[in-house]
Amino acid sequence: MPNEPKSKPRAVRTVSRSALLTLPMALFGLLMFSRTLALPGAAAKMAGLAAWLFMAGLFFFMMRTFETYRWRRIFFVTLGFLFPVGFIWDLISLRSSMSIPIEKMLSGDTPFCFLVIPMTIIPAALTKTIIFPGSILPTASNPHAIATMVALWVLATLVLGKAWCSFGCFFGGLEEGFSALAKKARINKINPRWRLVPWAVLAAIVLLSAATFEPTYCRWLCPFKTVTEYPEVRSVETAIQAGIFLSLFSGLVVVLPVLTKRRTQCAFFCPFGAFQSLFNKITAFDIRIDRDKCADCVSCQNSCPTLALDKDSIGRGKTLLACMKCGACVDVCHKGAAVWHVKGTAPNASPERARLLYLYGAWAFATMFGGDIIASSLQKLFGLVV
Amino acid sequence: MKRLTAILGLTAAGLTVLVTGLAPFLWFNVFTGAVSAAGLRIDPVYTGGEPARVIARQGYQIIIYHPVPQRALLPRIGPFVQLAWKPAAALPARVTEEIDLDNDNKPDLVASFDVPRDTKTDLRVDVQPLTPRVLAMSGVGQDSFSRLIARVNDAIVVRVPLRNAGK
Amino acid sequence: MLFYSNVSFAAEAVLLGLASGPACLASCGPVLLPWLAAEADGVRGATSRLAVFLGGRLGGYLLFAVGAWALGVAVPVDSHARTLVFGLANLGLAAMLGLSAWPPRGSCRNNAQRANALVQVGEPGRTRPKLALALGFFTGLNLCPPFVAASVRAVETRSLAGALTFFLLFFGGTTVWFVPAVAVSAARRIAEVATVARMTMALLAAYYAYLGAMSVSWGILHAQ
Repeated sequence: MPNEPKSKPRAVRTVSRSALLTLPMALFGLLMFSRTLALPGAAAKMAGLAAWLFMAGLFFFMMRTFETYRWRRIFFVTLGFLFPVGFIWDLISLRSSMSIPIEKMLSGDTPFCFLVIPMTIIPAALTKTIIFPGSILPTASNPHAIATMVALWVLATLVLGKAWCSFGCFFGGLEEGFSALAKKARINKINPRWRLVPWAVLAAIVLLSAATFEPTYCRWLCPFKTVTEYPEVRSVETAIQAGIFLSLFSGLVVVLPVLTKRRTQCAFFCPFGAFQSLFNKITAFDIRIDRDKCADCVSCQNSCPTLALDKDSIGRGKTLLACMKCGACVDVCHKGAAVWHVKGTAPNASPERARLLYLYGAWAFATMFGGDIIASSLQKLFGLVV
Repeated sequence: MKRLTAILGLTAAGLTVLVTGLAPFLWFNVFTGAVSAAGLRIDPVYTGGEPARVIARQGYQIIIYHPVPQRALLPRIGPFVQLAWKPAAALPARVTEEIDLDNDNKPDLVASFDVPRDTKTDLRVDVQPLTPRVLAMSGVGQDSFSRLIARVNDAIVVRVPLRNAGK
Repeated sequence: MLFYSNVSFAAEAVLLGLASGPACLASCGPVLLPWLAAEADGVRGATSRLAVFLGGRLGGYLLFAVGAWALGVAVPVDSHARTLVFGLANLGLAAMLGLSAWPPRGSCRNNAQRANALVQVGEPGRTRPKLALALGFFTGLNLCPPFVAASVRAVETRSLAGALTFFLLFFGGTTVWFVPAVAVSAARRIAEVATVARMTMALLAAYYAYLGAMSVSWGILHAQ
């Protein structure tokens, strides 16, 4: 966490009680990883077992320590680094290259990425066409079809809202990992207006995609092309695009997170994060600040990876719309003022019950989606040695 | 009232957990079915549009697609018509075909390309227009979505640029 | 007969405009919508600015239509000259969007303020309505596919008056779809909307500048 003061030691839950609370998640995880465990070969079985133990183990520690952020971060950073490993592995083994051949676009074999979703809405509403070279339904050559990914996104949005950025996004863990590297932040003062840039990027790409019927963000602005796939550099235009992708990745995902200890790409650029913020109002959970207990030490504000707390919002007892419900502020608060909360209930009504309900949904989603990606990537890595 | 909102909130929270738990078993099938029923399609700029008719040849077919009109704000993509020779394995070493796009018994273009045995070799196509509607291509590989030749699955796909948006 | 053929001619133009309206709004949206959201003058002010914008857009359309008519050709879809004109129009659009987004010169007194100004690209309250005409004009010069279709039909009327009448009626049909766009200005109740709108215009200015530069380069290279 950025600028984190030492938190007061908390009580821990007993091992037996923690295990009991972990049991439903462990069983769910076993079900999710059973497909990987059933695959032939030692590598698949090892990967399935490792992923299951990993997810169940982290949940156990969340239960035992009453803390969320640092255990969630271990999962999220692992996902962020393993996803590109598995993805690039598949590209190299199939095509010997990370560049997208036009043949793949014409045949509908490009896997659908959630970042495209905001850009597809207006063209789909006007003409019933999806402006992406994928396939609508899953096929043998493209299991990551549009219907599957949109189903995942709708589920995540209902369950998590913007907590997608803490439990679902397979890119965010990269910068979260880099933000944890330095002991202290070199840049502490950040103009809060930079938080509005993701909304401007979202507006620009949605409007341009509706005008041009092409996914503008993918063509021009996605930093994560650097670690996934990109159009081959064969012209001035594609060279400029590659330059933009590399600059955004190295600046926003690597350098600035190290210097600021914040998730700078998420906080100051990602249009999908802004899009998900719109849905934060419809989920059942949020984080509240109990004004009676709050000491105005602003530890919560300093710990937030995405600047979703400021003096005004703390004064109102709430986080800003950009809150991705990662738990950093809750875990750092000495006074127990920052708490998990179920909407509709009293502000300080049973925070641990709220946290448990939230985590059962969020971790189930993380197991189903991110856990599967981790298992798949581990299978490839283990295949090198067994 | 406070009790009611609390009950509603906790119910919503509980449903969140239930929905997530059941999702792998119910959600994806239901959602995929709904998307399928919605009649969505991939942008014809990528798919080449809908097949219009098929010309049978000895051992292979030529599929002529409906023309794709210009869609972009600037004329960077389209309009074009896609032609597909299928299966590619049955094609001769050199293909030279007169194609009648609009089924008026008058050929609109002549397409010529080599079919190398090595499927990794780059393809090039020449298109000689026989009507003003078709634009010429000479030694074109993969210039853009509206001017290309490519192996797509078991077919060789050629996209020929057109002069006016067609329907 | 003449009355019915005139009515049929007018109806065709208006109906073509109504059918093309969504495509026109989508084409103009990147310029119009952030700009309407950025100014601090409410729905009434936005309506008058929209009217000026549409006047500028009509001016761009008519200029191109008269020019094409004077040359005696329908809008040349594949001409290098058309690409060059589009490129210059995009560069003009980029300049206007950039002017709309950034604070006026002289508003920053020192380095700290200048650095802040980079983020203040969304400083609200700087109303410059003259830009409305210029924005509309350059948008109008960017010929969208519905305009091309209308121009082909207009040239078939064989008289300049007929072509201009067809265009005006077509334009009227498309304008119906633009009226609801003023609702965007109601979002000004949220203070950050103007900032986001101006930041959006800055991003779009960069995009249109790139498009313009590439089109102008292509037009010059291929004209030789």
